[in-house]
Amino acid sequence: MTLAIRGVVKRFGALTALDAVDLDIEQGELVCFLGPSGCGKTTLLRVIAGLETADAGAVLLDGADLIATPARLRNFGVVFQSYSLFPNRDAGENIAYGLECRRWAKDRIRARVAEMLQLIGLADHAGKLPSQLSGGQQQRVALARALAVDPALLLLDEPLSALDAKVREGLRFEIRALQQRLGITTIMVTHDQEEALTMADRIVVMRAGRIEQVGTAAELYDHPETRFVAEFVGRINVLPVAPDGGVCGRLMALPEGRLAGRRPALVGIRPEAVRVHAPEAAPAGALGAQLEQAIFLGNLTQLVLRVEGAPEGDPPLLAELHGLRPDGFAPGAPFAVELPPAALRVLEWR
Amino acid sequence: MALSGAVARPPRHDRLPIALVTLAVAAPLLLFILYPLAFILGRSFVTETGLGFANYARMLGNERFLGILANSFAVTLVSTVLAVVLAYLFAYAIQRTAIPWKGFFRLVAIVPLFAPSLVQAQGLVLLFGRNGLINRTFDAGIEIYGYWGIVIAMVLYVFPYAFLILSAALAVADARIYESAEMLGAGGARVFRTVTLPATRYGLAAAIFVCFTLVITDFGNPMVIGADYGVLATEVYNQVIGQANFERGTVIGMILLVPAAIAAFGEKYISARQFAVVGEQSRPLAIQPSPGRDAVFTAVVVAIALAILAIVAIVVFASFVDLWPYRMNLSLRHYAFDVQNGIEPLWNSILIGLMAAAIGVVAITASSYMVEKLKSAASRPLYFVSILPAAVPGMVLGLGYILAFNNPANPVYLIYGTLLIIAICNVYHYHAQAFLISSTSLKQISPTFDEASATLGGSRFDTFRKVTLPLLAPTLVGIAVFFFMRSMVTLSAVIFLITPSTQVAAVSVLLLEDRGATNQAAAFSVCIMAVVVAALLLTHMALRLAGFRNVSLIR
Ligand SMILES: Nc1ncnc2c1ncn2[C@@H]1O[C@H](COP(=O)(O)OP(=O)(O)OP(=O)(O)O)[C@@H](O)[C@H]1O
Ligand SMILES: [Mg+2]
Repeated sequence: MTLAIRGVVKRFGALTALDAVDLDIEQGELVCFLGPSGCGKTTLLRVIAGLETADAGAVLLDGADLIATPARLRNFGVVFQSYSLFPNRDAGENIAYGLECRRWAKDRIRARVAEMLQLIGLADHAGKLPSQLSGGQQQRVALARALAVDPALLLLDEPLSALDAKVREGLRFEIRALQQRLGITTIMVTHDQEEALTMADRIVVMRAGRIEQVGTAAELYDHPETRFVAEFVGRINVLPVAPDGGVCGRLMALPEGRLAGRRPALVGIRPEAVRVHAPEAAPAGALGAQLEQAIFLGNLTQLVLRVEGAPEGDPPLLAELHGLRPDGFAPGAPFAVELPPAALRVLEWR
Repeated sequence: MALSGAVARPPRHDRLPIALVTLAVAAPLLLFILYPLAFILGRSFVTETGLGFANYARMLGNERFLGILANSFAVTLVSTVLAVVLAYLFAYAIQRTAIPWKGFFRLVAIVPLFAPSLVQAQGLVLLFGRNGLINRTFDAGIEIYGYWGIVIAMVLYVFPYAFLILSAALAVADARIYESAEMLGAGGARVFRTVTLPATRYGLAAAIFVCFTLVITDFGNPMVIGADYGVLATEVYNQVIGQANFERGTVIGMILLVPAAIAAFGEKYISARQFAVVGEQSRPLAIQPSPGRDAVFTAVVVAIALAILAIVAIVVFASFVDLWPYRMNLSLRHYAFDVQNGIEPLWNSILIGLMAAAIGVVAITASSYMVEKLKSAASRPLYFVSILPAAVPGMVLGLGYILAFNNPANPVYLIYGTLLIIAICNVYHYHAQAFLISSTSLKQISPTFDEASATLGGSRFDTFRKVTLPLLAPTLVGIAVFFFMRSMVTLSAVIFLITPSTQVAAVSVLLLEDRGATNQAAAFSVCIMAVVVAALLLTHMALRLAGFRNVSLIR
């Protein structure tokens, strides 16, 4: 099953919750929608599920437009943040719900429910009401309920955010393993970076109703295209580029604009890509810098440095060094730094 | 997530079924609420010389009528104030002091709900009337008939309604506010004035409005104890039944509707304004015993409870007396019901109660589901019609039924003069209260259940049958009991709809009382109370057995 989203727009009154969203999702992959609160993740998921009608654009499943298909005929499994298990039905009956709606025979339903309970490791809890299950168990039942009907697509809206940290970590792996075993195409909404990085094949970073960038965790980390993505995934030094092309008061070879005539306005460099040297061992062309603060974090040490000759308004430069002990580093101590051109990423063009 | 709020336009494939369901729900509401009201309103403008305000003008120029209007307000205002003050004291004692036997007193407070509304007047007459126990025994010469008789009866009649509202308002309190008030050095009276009273002002306002509507529209009590002191409600009855003057009855009914409607909408306005006084962090109030305060409140509560119980006790006693007040030896002969229609009216009442419960549950489920779950353009108008009966005096509705349906050209005429139309009338008379109970429950059923069901392939009907209805079921049991109870005790709307063969028990009490058959009237009242209490107990036990607790059966 491949899903294609084309130019989807959704407005709530004056607010544009989704602003011309385009996205393709491949068979069997797990895609995370990641972004700050209110950026439209849930809305996009609900449009895909058919719980919300888009004002413009199309959602295509294997090329077929879903616009006229109501949620109940889409055959998508949805797991909500609040579990939303039916409180009057026990775990087994909850799992059986979709099968009953599809008018399966009783014995087939029974077999399927048993199989699903086995799958989520709750075979002994079939007769318990949701109120008698823990949060993690409830969310597993919700997952089983969604999967029981063999959905074409699995949609998860922050399925783990109501659980405490320990349960959450365990379930992350469980969901991921299950998803890979069943090979089911899955979309998961989250605003938890770590969750997205550990679970997703690809991450869709959203901001204010738009998709900012799509890619694997490594792609987003190594090649962020905007300041927002760069800062949302990991830490980064954001450095303004002077009109003459200078960074930190020094001219550098910067990548060419994709469009002719465009030049970088902001560049970024990850703290671990900044090379730091003792002043006496400085290679040719290195920048002079003074230490503002050294922060010891165990396996790594962060140095906050002020580069000599950098324009007034520039933020200090953050560098991360592994295995270094900052004993004896006093504020004001001199250093030399290098910003390898290959590690510089353009985050904004002018 | 802000998913509620705006009414989403249903997707295309859903529109036809929704339109059909809307029609099926709207049709009976329009037919049994709006149509009779429109009819009676229209009728009040019909004069010999065409349409106009002449009827109203004549009525408002009539000195006798203006006197009755003034009487109504004199009774209503005084009764309302007294009832609310007493109910506040009673509720305060239960919720905020350490008096003993709270459970018992709470039960006593709602006893009047189990009896026909005129039982208060009936009991007062038995106690203080010309042939009442007190005058007979002590030759006290007390004159209970007239204004003060009505007021006392009314206060006792509306007391439980005010108590339930105020008790709920006083039940919620945040201990932290009281502690900080005391820390700031506020004394008991000051804490009450600056904290308790403001926190319960919405409950107070709601209680005042509810009592006002109940008193101004009640006619059973003034009929029995009012003697020559006429009020609007008895005047409607006298014009229509006594003098067969429908025009005048109609016009007076419409005039009665105005204050009742204002009070009812005032109450709705107030309860919509009700805000949460209790936040997540608040701690419930721990009540500290305080001997002086508790003694005073115990005295107040005991006095009120005695008054309520005395009324019921004297009626029960009278039902077993051979011939009040001449032969006071005990006898069971009044339970033979060998007068007029015999025991039939009681059976009629029970049948009507059962029918009203069944029809009411279906009608209320449909209208509240429509308004709360199938949000559509029709939801708001349907909501309005659904709560409209709260503003309509029962007599006006009953009169509307006669005018609208006692007409062979109207299809409803087929059931006119049957028990069924009385049951239907009761359902729509009490539609607003039951509707609000049900829609409050539906609001608590999260919309994500509907969405979860839809994504699992469930149709709206699947969702309704397998999720919504089971979750609503306990509330619906409460609603069935509510309709049954009200059908057993109500007088005002049914008084116009009974025929000799469809006499009901509450009306029998009134007619027997009117004829001076005091003992039989008392026996009928006792039977009504017994049936209501039995129904409540049975349902309570059934619910317990089914594993439901905390279902409130008394509204
Ligand atoms: N039914 C609605 N009516 C009006 N506005 C809405 C509605 N649903 C969402 N919005 C608005 O649309 C925007 C996007 O909401 P959405 O729920 O998709 O955000 P989100 O990315 O899921 O955020 P969160 O991480 O907080 O769940 C928000 O500004 C929200 O207030
Ligand atoms: Mg969300």
